Amino acid sequence: MLIISAMIIGLGLGSMYGLLALGFYVTYAVSNTVNFAQGSTMMLGAVLCFTFWATLGWPLPAAIVAALLLCAAWGVAVERVAVRPFVRRGSDGWLMATVALGIVVDNAVLFTFGKDPRGMPPTFLVTESLAVGGVRVQLQQMLIPLVGLGLAFALTLFARRTRHGAAMLAVVQNGDAARLMGINVGAAVTAAFALSGFFAGVAGILIAPLFTVSSTMGTLFGIKAFAVAILGGIGSPWGVMIAGLLYGVLEATVTASFGSTYTQIVAFSLVILTLALRPEGLFGRAAVKKV
Amino acid sequence: MSARNLLIGAALIGLLVAAILNANGYHLFVLSLVGLTAIVGVGLNILVGLSGQISLGHMGFYAIGAYTVAILTAGYGWSFWLALPAAGFFAGAAGGLLSIPALRVRGPYLAMITIAFAFVVEQSAAEMEGLTGGWNGIMGIAPPSLFGASFRQRGIALLVLTLAVLAVVFYARFSGGAWGKALRALRDSEIAAQSIGLNPVWLRCVAFALSAVFAGVAGGVFAAMSGFISPESFPFFESILFLLVVVIGGADTVLGPLVGAAIVVLLPEALSSLAEYRLLFVGLLLLVVLRLAPRGIVGGLSSLVTRLIGGKAKGTPVSGDGAAPAFLRSSGEAAPLVVDGLSIAFGGVKAVQDLSFEAAPGAVTSIIGPNGAGKTTALNLIAGYYRPTAGSVRLGGVDLTGRASHEVARAGIGRTYQTTQLFEHMSVVDNLLIAMRRGRLSLAEFAGAAETSRRRARAEALLAFVGYQGPLAVEAGSLAHIDKRLVEIARTLALEPQVLLFDEPAAGLGEEDTARVGRLLKRLAGLGRCVILIEHDMPLVMGISDRILVLDAGQKICDGAPETVREDPAVLKAYLGEADLAGRARDGAGSTGAGRRILDVSGLCAAYGASDVLRDVGLSVAEGELVAVLGANGAGKSTLMRALSGLHRPVRGRVLFDGEAIEALPAHEVARRGLVLVPEGRQVFPELTVIQNVRLGAYGRMPPDLDAEVERIIARFPRLQERRGQRAGLMSGGEQQMLAIARGLASRPKVLLLDEPSLGLAPALIQELYAILAELRDGGVTILLVDQMAEMALGVADRAYVLGSGAVVESGTAAELRRSDALQKAYLGGEAATAS
Amino acid sequence: MKTNPKGVFLAGAAMALAWAPTAATAADPIRIGQVAALSGASAQSGEAITRGLQIAIDEINGAGGLLDGRMIELVQRDDESKPPKGLLAARELIYNEGVAAIIGGIDSPVSLAIVPLANQEGVPFMGVWAAATGITQNDADPNYVFRVSAVDALVDVKLLNYANGAFGAHKVGLMLINNPWGQSNEKGLEAADEANDKVEIVGTEKFESTDVDMTPQLTRLKDAGAEAVVLVVNAPPGAQMMKSRARMGWDVPVVSHWGISGGRFPELAGPTAGDARFVQTYSFFGDQGPAGKKVLEELKAKYGVAGPEEVVSPVGTANAYDAMHLLGMAIEQAGGTDGDAVREALENLDGTYEGLIKTYEKPFSPDDHDALGPDDYVMVRYDGDRIVPAE
Repeated sequence: MLIISAMIIGLGLGSMYGLLALGFYVTYAVSNTVNFAQGSTMMLGAVLCFTFWATLGWPLPAAIVAALLLCAAWGVAVERVAVRPFVRRGSDGWLMATVALGIVVDNAVLFTFGKDPRGMPPTFLVTESLAVGGVRVQLQQMLIPLVGLGLAFALTLFARRTRHGAAMLAVVQNGDAARLMGINVGAAVTAAFALSGFFAGVAGILIAPLFTVSSTMGTLFGIKAFAVAILGGIGSPWGVMIAGLLYGVLEATVTASFGSTYTQIVAFSLVILTLALRPEGLFGRAAVKKV
Repeated sequence: MSARNLLIGAALIGLLVAAILNANGYHLFVLSLVGLTAIVGVGLNILVGLSGQISLGHMGFYAIGAYTVAILTAGYGWSFWLALPAAGFFAGAAGGLLSIPALRVRGPYLAMITIAFAFVVEQSAAEMEGLTGGWNGIMGIAPPSLFGASFRQRGIALLVLTLAVLAVVFYARFSGGAWGKALRALRDSEIAAQSIGLNPVWLRCVAFALSAVFAGVAGGVFAAMSGFISPESFPFFESILFLLVVVIGGADTVLGPLVGAAIVVLLPEALSSLAEYRLLFVGLLLLVVLRLAPRGIVGGLSSLVTRLIGGKAKGTPVSGDGAAPAFLRSSGEAAPLVVDGLSIAFGGVKAVQDLSFEAAPGAVTSIIGPNGAGKTTALNLIAGYYRPTAGSVRLGGVDLTGRASHEVARAGIGRTYQTTQLFEHMSVVDNLLIAMRRGRLSLAEFAGAAETSRRRARAEALLAFVGYQGPLAVEAGSLAHIDKRLVEIARTLALEPQVLLFDEPAAGLGEEDTARVGRLLKRLAGLGRCVILIEHDMPLVMGISDRILVLDAGQKICDGAPETVREDPAVLKAYLGEADLAGRARDGAGSTGAGRRILDVSGLCAAYGASDVLRDVGLSVAEGELVAVLGANGAGKSTLMRALSGLHRPVRGRVLFDGEAIEALPAHEVARRGLVLVPEGRQVFPELTVIQNVRLGAYGRMPPDLDAEVERIIARFPRLQERRGQRAGLMSGGEQQMLAIARGLASRPKVLLLDEPSLGLAPALIQELYAILAELRDGGVTILLVDQMAEMALGVADRAYVLGSGAVVESGTAAELRRSDALQKAYLGGEAATAS
Repeated sequence: MKTNPKGVFLAGAAMALAWAPTAATAADPIRIGQVAALSGASAQSGEAITRGLQIAIDEINGAGGLLDGRMIELVQRDDESKPPKGLLAARELIYNEGVAAIIGGIDSPVSLAIVPLANQEGVPFMGVWAAATGITQNDADPNYVFRVSAVDALVDVKLLNYANGAFGAHKVGLMLINNPWGQSNEKGLEAADEANDKVEIVGTEKFESTDVDMTPQLTRLKDAGAEAVVLVVNAPPGAQMMKSRARMGWDVPVVSHWGISGGRFPELAGPTAGDARFVQTYSFFGDQGPAGKKVLEELKAKYGVAGPEEVVSPVGTANAYDAMHLLGMAIEQAGGTDGDAVREALENLDGTYEGLIKTYEKPFSPDDHDALGPDDYVMVRYDGDRIVPAE
């Protein structure tokens, strides 16, 4: 029973890491850059949704849509302010710059939203639960993996079936050839960052009812999600999602067996070990060297 | 260090000592923190500034140092003076260990490993309660004492100052010495660093460990200074502050970490009255510095000063008579390079097959062949960059098969690269000095023994010998193209190699410079070296080679003296294609210049960096025409295509397309107007299916009924029809080429640009391809075709232009050009070969 | 080598400017330093302490200040909940701002780091929240550290007694946050267990403040037969624990240290928030004495607090309010701000002070630097947003 409940929790958290990591994936795939402060964007999603819904009293769907749109806009802003100027001059300063922007937004939220962690008002998703293998599982806990896998699936469909999705993938595979097809590479990168912000927002809104909403809630999630993205090889939506699930289940299993004090030590040691043995990640492919 | 610098340094130290003697407890603590942070920064600078790696985990090393001192002094009664070196040692050992996984990864991956490391250290400190006191930490760490007197705040501040000065002096000497040069070389170009014998694995490991030692020592002093440490003293996320110290101050500058530490520590203190808004300011400041001063404050100031004062102090220009230095004259008996049965395959494609030859000392051996023949691959096999699947490489009695490239270099094989691989941020003379080491660096040289004047003299003599006449101290990256070539050759010579491999040394050079390089190569052979040359410039190859090998599709097809090779029918066929394979000519009179001029190019110039690739090119294409652009490799054909399609920007001159000037438009805008390039090397999207590739072709110019359009196009290519659901990356080269053309057609282009469609295809496939081109032509598609296979191209073309050295040297109808000898001249140089 | 003499000089000049010392004269206000978490996850605790201090200071200043008209001025520094930052801030307050005393914050590790400095420099350090036993019992002589707050060792005794007395539990399980505070209470609870024959600890589980789910830990305690759970943690993770407990459908009694009193615990924990009983030094609910009424009025006027349910982290405000008044009395009695004199005045405080938490009479002695004891602790629970005495 301990194991079953650990699995359920692990899958829920894991798909949340996966969602955040999908955000790393889309930008890395299209532009070889990431928003290192992805955790802050996730926090923004939760905070905005809380503010619109609980504080301003908007209907929940409207609050969610508005929060997600703003997260996507924030993604675009990050790309314009902290990524593009550095990429243009061939510097990897974007890494530090996105971290700096994360610090700024975390603190800005601290002063506007308040220092107090807040709790999302419960919905039926939290109050209702089902019994699975003798363990009570809240609907919200099931919703997270469903949305996570669903979005990974949708992302795959978008890439495989739509004109614009194929165009974004083309940018990854061959930027020059993509431009020859009339694809605006700059716009594709912007879109990728918007999508990345959107995913982070979804993750934030999904985890908020199970967790607390505060300006610092995203930091550790962001780092773990980055570990997940790297472990997944930042190569494909499914690789990233599966790495997320594995990481979540691993965490939950360690917690269930040894207590959560060792969870981070074990998990992060495994990250180092995995990368030492497979530098390209679990599901990544080694790039071909050229002279 | 100059006397002036010493004076400034002494004054600064005096100022700080005075400050320490007058400071109150808080100021002492803050000053000490600045010092400790600076020490960590100096160490991190070895990693970030010199070796170009990143670490977000130095807090971990700092913590290891602090806990070492705390545990050894408080727990085991060690003296602080013994515990401090131990702190450095343990941190360094941890750094060495961490470098093992860190060596194999870059960028974000490396950042993740180091973050994870710092996180694990922090958490472990909390959990290893017996050793570290767990969350409660270790209290009552005694301050150090000397001769019975215990250090108080002031003493510790002086100790920190001493250590910080030592750290800076060490860094100055280390970075100026052989190790610093080696690490910078590795940072600027790992490939080239290997080819001068540097072992990247070992170097990175040393950089990591050394950098960790600094952090460990600083942490050790921190423990003694604060008297109390706990896991919360070392939050892993604050590692970023150490990185900030280096970035803000200026990576790869001696004083950068000092300035950075002063800012990172003092600024929050100065803002302490802002209390809670402090982090907000720090974040904003970081953004501003990153945007406005990418080289950090010290780096930015020094380049500003350089600009204000003007370009003084670039060092003296090279002097010397250009005679061959004595040490270059062959010593002892020279051995030949023997290549036997060398083969390698990439994903089923046999890039080099059973290649055997012997390159004699004192001779120039050239390897030529059409594009994609496997020439550079052969070079990479010899130089140890690839591991052959079969065969062997021997130099004299030494078997070098499958050895790492730095070992091959140390064994006496030097090389240059198609695109020069200088250590761009190092001075010209440093490029040579580090190469002279042949990869040998001893740990005793950490403190950076200054380069001997003998070595400098040698470097200067070498530069004079290759004909470089610029200044010695100028950054290599700022040199003109020809100087880069010359310095790269001189750097290779600094290795004193037996064998010299030159990969297209004349690429991008003008006629005069090419001749200079040719003479140099000849002289080197005259000195008893074994010179191996890959080159497309036929006059050069024919002029200086003693022997020529011709490769085609990975196989040697001819081997002999220049005269023999030039006459060989197989060689001509490989270069020009076979006339009997040529595509079908247009029926009837054709449409030469009949239609409206849709593409009109005049005065087009393009350059890569400092070297001009296109010079004043003019050409035009009328609607319905098929026009070919011919010329040898390196004549500028592909650049022309890239310039027309918008991939190469900026260009000068005028490109009128359908009445509109497009020379300034970006590629996607050009494509959307209907000027569509099918690029060289196919460049299909490997992960997408055939149909997806074709549909994507229409992205910028959607037809009203995409599905029907795609079906119509696919129907033209039976091979694609069969494989419509297959991923493009899994198809053969010929199929990929068909797909690339189909993809180009999907946008219903007004003009289709085709760049080297026959490259690397088997003859049967080429024929099929050209049949399709003829069909398209007859169907009214306007085409501008570039192909090395001149005979083939002329077979289908209405008109053609011949490019030579970036300019149009001949133009006319296909028939006219067939009769002229300009073509063969352009391809094989010298007198025209007798047509077969 | 690239060095820039000009840059170095400028940096030196900037440093020299930052150095300008601040001179103090007798007519100056009396500066009281505050080192607390003003940012980060515990920022709200700092805010609560600030409110208590500021209300007390305004009262004192409104009544003409201390020492013949010298006003009290509060100088705040953020410790970001990090011991090195707190230590640095304390140094700055002592050496640069010349504060007469320092008030501490919520984090025990930060206070523990400051204690040696306070004793070394002879500056009174007044704890108003952090409960680690070692803060006041630090073996220094003379000891400049005082506290108006709970003490872990005593709270732990109270928690076990209450679990047994109110719920008849013989077997208890511990749920402790994995940080210094949790570790301090682990020791305290074990010691209390030794001394208490009626209760036995059957399991000790730890968790991180960032943990989303704690059902594995709770499941193990349940399997070990725990009849009550003793909880030591702040509000947000405490709420996660309550949610996990609800998810399991386990209605075990929860007896908690006071960490969950701050930070909107009822909102965070949801419907089962009322199941937890916890320790407080003071409650703004129910009948208020004159001091309570006054403070509530001030909270309303200055900080827009509508009523008791909006008082966040009430213990921080209450302890700080009383501590500030006691400190003011001691300064007045010492006749100056000399650290040693103030310390002696605190240890031998004349007269009584009718405070918020209780009426203080000789609150400190040379051997006991804690003003509050087990008798001053009350067990309470949430009823909606209100804190009401536990039945």
